[in-house]
Amino acid sequence: MAKQYDVLFRLLLIGDSGVGKTCLLCRFTDNEFHSSHISTIGVDFKMKTIEVDGIKVRIQIWDWLSTAGTQRGQERYQTITKQYYRRAQGIFLVYDISSERSYQHIMKWVSDVDEYAPEGVQKILIGNKADEEQKRQVGREQGQQLAKEYGMDFYETSACTNLNIKESFTRLTELVLQAHRKELDGLRTRASNELVLAELEEDESKPEGPVNSSKSCWC
Amino acid sequence: MDQSVAIQETLAEGEYCIIAVQGVLCEGDSRQSRLLGLVRYRLEHGGQEYALFLYMHRRMAITGDDVSLDQIVPVSRDFTLEEVSPDGEVYILGLISGFLCAGSDVTVQLNTAELNLVFQLPFGSHTRMFLQEVARACPGLDPETPNPEFLWLSRYRCTEPEPPPPGWNSALGTWTGCARIGGGGSYLDDLRPNGKGLLVDQNSRGHDKPDNLLTRQTKSRSEMNDMIRCSTITVSDKAHILSMQKFGLRDTIVKSHLMQKEEDYTNIQNFRFFVGTYNVNGQSPKECLRPWLSHSTQAPDVYCVGFQELDLSKEAFFFHDTPKEEEWFKVVSESLHPDAKYAKVKLIRLVGIMLLLYVKQEHAAHVSEVEAETVGTGIMGRMGNKGGVAIRFQFHNTSICVVNSHLAAHTEEYERRNQDYKDICSRMQFCQVDPSLPPLTISKHDVILWLGDLNYRIEELDVEKVKKLIEEKAFQTLHAYDQLKIQVAAKAVFEGFTEGELTFQPTYKYDTGSDEWDTSEKCRAPAWCDRILWKGKNITQLSYQSHMALKTSDHKPVSSEFDIGVRVKDEDLYRKTLEEIVRSLDKMENANIPSVSLSKREFCFQDVKYMQLQVESFTILNGQVPCQFEFINKPDEESYCKPWLNVNPSRGFLLPESSIEIELEVFVNKTMATKLNSGEDKIEDILVLHLDRGKDYFLSVSGNYLPGCFGTPIHTLCYMREPILDLPLETVRELTLMPLCTEDGGSQLEKPMEIPKELWMMVDYLYRNAVQQEDLFQQPGLRLEFEKIRDSLDTGMIDTLDILSINNHSVAEALLLFLESLPEPVICYSAYHNCLECSGNYTASKQVISTLPTFHRNVFYYLMAFLQELLKNSEKNHLDQNILASIFGSLLLRNPAGHQKLEMAEKKKAQEFIHQFLCNSL
Ligand SMILES: Nc1nc2c(ncn2[C@@H]2O[C@H](COP(=O)(O)OP(=O)(O)OP(=O)(O)O)[C@@H](O)[C@H]2O)c(=O)[nH]1
Ligand SMILES: [Mg+2]
Repeated sequence: MAKQYDVLFRLLLIGDSGVGKTCLLCRFTDNEFHSSHISTIGVDFKMKTIEVDGIKVRIQIWDWLSTAGTQRGQERYQTITKQYYRRAQGIFLVYDISSERSYQHIMKWVSDVDEYAPEGVQKILIGNKADEEQKRQVGREQGQQLAKEYGMDFYETSACTNLNIKESFTRLTELVLQAHRKELDGLRTRASNELVLAELEEDESKPEGPVNSSKSCWC
Repeated sequence: MDQSVAIQETLAEGEYCIIAVQGVLCEGDSRQSRLLGLVRYRLEHGGQEYALFLYMHRRMAITGDDVSLDQIVPVSRDFTLEEVSPDGEVYILGLISGFLCAGSDVTVQLNTAELNLVFQLPFGSHTRMFLQEVARACPGLDPETPNPEFLWLSRYRCTEPEPPPPGWNSALGTWTGCARIGGGGSYLDDLRPNGKGLLVDQNSRGHDKPDNLLTRQTKSRSEMNDMIRCSTITVSDKAHILSMQKFGLRDTIVKSHLMQKEEDYTNIQNFRFFVGTYNVNGQSPKECLRPWLSHSTQAPDVYCVGFQELDLSKEAFFFHDTPKEEEWFKVVSESLHPDAKYAKVKLIRLVGIMLLLYVKQEHAAHVSEVEAETVGTGIMGRMGNKGGVAIRFQFHNTSICVVNSHLAAHTEEYERRNQDYKDICSRMQFCQVDPSLPPLTISKHDVILWLGDLNYRIEELDVEKVKKLIEEKAFQTLHAYDQLKIQVAAKAVFEGFTEGELTFQPTYKYDTGSDEWDTSEKCRAPAWCDRILWKGKNITQLSYQSHMALKTSDHKPVSSEFDIGVRVKDEDLYRKTLEEIVRSLDKMENANIPSVSLSKREFCFQDVKYMQLQVESFTILNGQVPCQFEFINKPDEESYCKPWLNVNPSRGFLLPESSIEIELEVFVNKTMATKLNSGEDKIEDILVLHLDRGKDYFLSVSGNYLPGCFGTPIHTLCYMREPILDLPLETVRELTLMPLCTEDGGSQLEKPMEIPKELWMMVDYLYRNAVQQEDLFQQPGLRLEFEKIRDSLDTGMIDTLDILSINNHSVAEALLLFLESLPEPVICYSAYHNCLECSGNYTASKQVISTLPTFHRNVFYYLMAFLQELLKNSEKNHLDQNILASIFGSLLLRNPAGHQKLEMAEKKKAQEFIHQFLCNSL
């Protein structure tokens, strides 16, 4: 069990009200799904630890109220919510495949991200509720197309059937890790638990070689 | 949420925040939140020192910007942090200054020579862990460890320290936070009274001068308030990846869970171990060792090979160096089983006692945490001519310790041998990978293999008898006289160990180069000096024998082979178990994020009117985690809510599953009325309810304001021929925003009235009913009646006042309130200074009044005429010019600089100014 260096990231879920942000989060962290919709009015977060590339990553996932969409007076929340963008290293842009409108709004969300989020923030596009095939209003290709336009990865997910949840969270984490490769490499070169093995190999190659005089206590 | 991360960001290189906990600092009546971080500093020459860093912080600290250093308490020898019982004499908990102090909190007392602080820490395992870590950090009383010096803390000292107060003579003091911390520190600086820093305050801590203490506390409380005021949601937009050695604690938890669940993900798998011991009597290797090391058909997986008396020379004894080590290592390496390739794991030697550990090459990757140690028990109980060496390692998931010992010689010295064994057991200590864990001892291993020249002899029988029994191969009979067997049976040594049956003849003492018993003068009795014992589960001995073929020494080598069941990790199961543990930890952590439910989140205040309090309430119901809540400022705003709103209480503490009722109060006064009338402001706000270490909740407040004459400009009212409430909102808005011009500009509008009708209504009422009223303008009105007056003014129901026969004092007060609420006073701000200048000169004063805008001038003369009318009845109403001048002076003449306290001289002049108009004809 080699000692690893851990990192902490903050990821943010955004998208219209009702697209399933809170459900995605619950499915990912607690493996639970609730079919009722209780609109998130505020800012909520959960922690999750995953291992990517042998690095233990602790992610703090922020779920918050949607400022676009149908809710009354939501522009008023905008000044507050934009502040939360600043903390994020990765952002999930979520729409609902059974809502054309939520898909259309992704553009607006992207422009918010561009405006408020820190530079170099990683984004990923999510078409949620993929289980609702009969109610589908947004084609898979449309999602792919949009993702391509913005240079994002794309997943269709279902919080309900647990489709692509782990995959998409892991992917975004990977992207964030990659974007911060430099800082991480600095950490990783310091990892040093291969000593035992190195010594073994050396001895094997030349068993007659000089042997370290053993440490002993003369006292 | 691990807040040590935030602290770490503020620390310098070499400093490491081991653990942090958020607590409440209790001083007298004051309760302030503090983040306590235990910080370790590694000294250059080895060793480490600790200090407790106390931070002020903004709610949940995520980055270094969220914390600001308050003070540092070095963990010195006189440092103690102890739990005190909450109902003890020290502190009585209760509802103090808005904090409901939890009975279940852990109250701790921090003591050093200089200070004494009391904290309340949240109940739970995290706090326990924190206290344990702090206890571990304490230097203890061992005189051998040097006194910590805390030189590293000097960087935190203020650059210009205050002169030390009397009694401040200890080197180990309290350091206070200076402007060192970037970002976070600066706002603190601003708060410091006269920029002197907190040091001044802190130093007074040790002294019991009560007044001194008092000022300190009040000061720091106001600082605290200010800090809360200036908090914003923004944390920082700066970097993000945190190297998380700080999650070491979590690692430890994961590890211990993994240990507990080991059986879930490991299988027992047998490995062949070869264990050999050979006292070589100082000889160099002369023959191949294969007959001893490779006698079986199957190649062992692990070799543990021990030697004694490797080198008997003085050089070896005194200088530790011997060429024999390499000679024997080489011949052993060459004599290992030819069917397999082996890797040396470790070699350890103490003078003549040497132990070698090899594993098959393919097992090398599964050997870890290899440590080797030696214990000398020879001359003076320390020297290495006798004693033991040991190698411990982790093989797959099983911990193994191999010991090679050479115990005291001579037949009668068996008790000495027992003692040597005990000394080796107690003094052999291995470092752990995690330096914070206590060192391992031999007994803490799953498998212990003990080999060596234990030197136990055969007692009671004479040499001849022994030799005879050996000849008869009556080993069992002979074994009954074996000291080791007897001592083990008496539980004097090797408790819990097992030894296989002795089916071979004693391995000592032979004439070197032969199989003949010792023929020297001493003619030693044969003995089973060389032995192999084991302790642990799943160990099967396959063979236990001596090897007569080797003739280099006066001992024969002994070997034993074992099948040892080792716990081998099933990678899939392991991953699953690990994931489960991590998931459950995450779950626990998430469950520990404070969370509440709110009985209501949207609040609508209908028809809010001037000076009419409306209250709505809701309940915050806490979840399972004790939490502190607070309404916080929105970005770029100075207060957590609009001025017409108030939240009560706006912060507090909640025990698990407890609840608290919060009241939202809406109250519009003169400072806000105009903007609400004009629509520049609305009854609309969002409140951010923040939980410490947790979520934010947004509450929305909405409603509508009913415009009224209070707070409406004079000229606007003059243009409102209709009652204000009969006008469309749009018209009110437009008229309110209409600029005040000296010339009558609203030509396109309906012809304005000379004075506001609302003013006329009040004055007329007083004129008709109150000219003889005693104490007019000096008695307070009735609040309820004020509302009626306001409503009848705003709806134009003139008769209402008469019908209800409203109290004269209420109307008089309404009149004063009306004048006070005017956004532009009757004598316009621009004329204020002129008026003061010419007060005393009536002509000049009248001249100034003539420059006022028409409506204002009208109002002024109208009021003066009314007041003169009142003075005519002064016999009845007891009013005089001075009283009226003083009341109206401050209402009609207002300093444009705002609500600052007027200087007496200025007030006097304003009075004088009005006074002229009361005693002269208008
Ligand atoms: N069929 C299906 N329903 C889903 C899925 N994910 C979420 N839902 C449902 O969609 C509704 C809204 O889900 P939430 O997760 O509360 O939506 P949200 O995006 O958090 O909404 P706001 O908090 O208002 O911004 C709920 O009734 C969920 O049960 C999914 O993958 N499939
Ligand atoms: Mg939600």
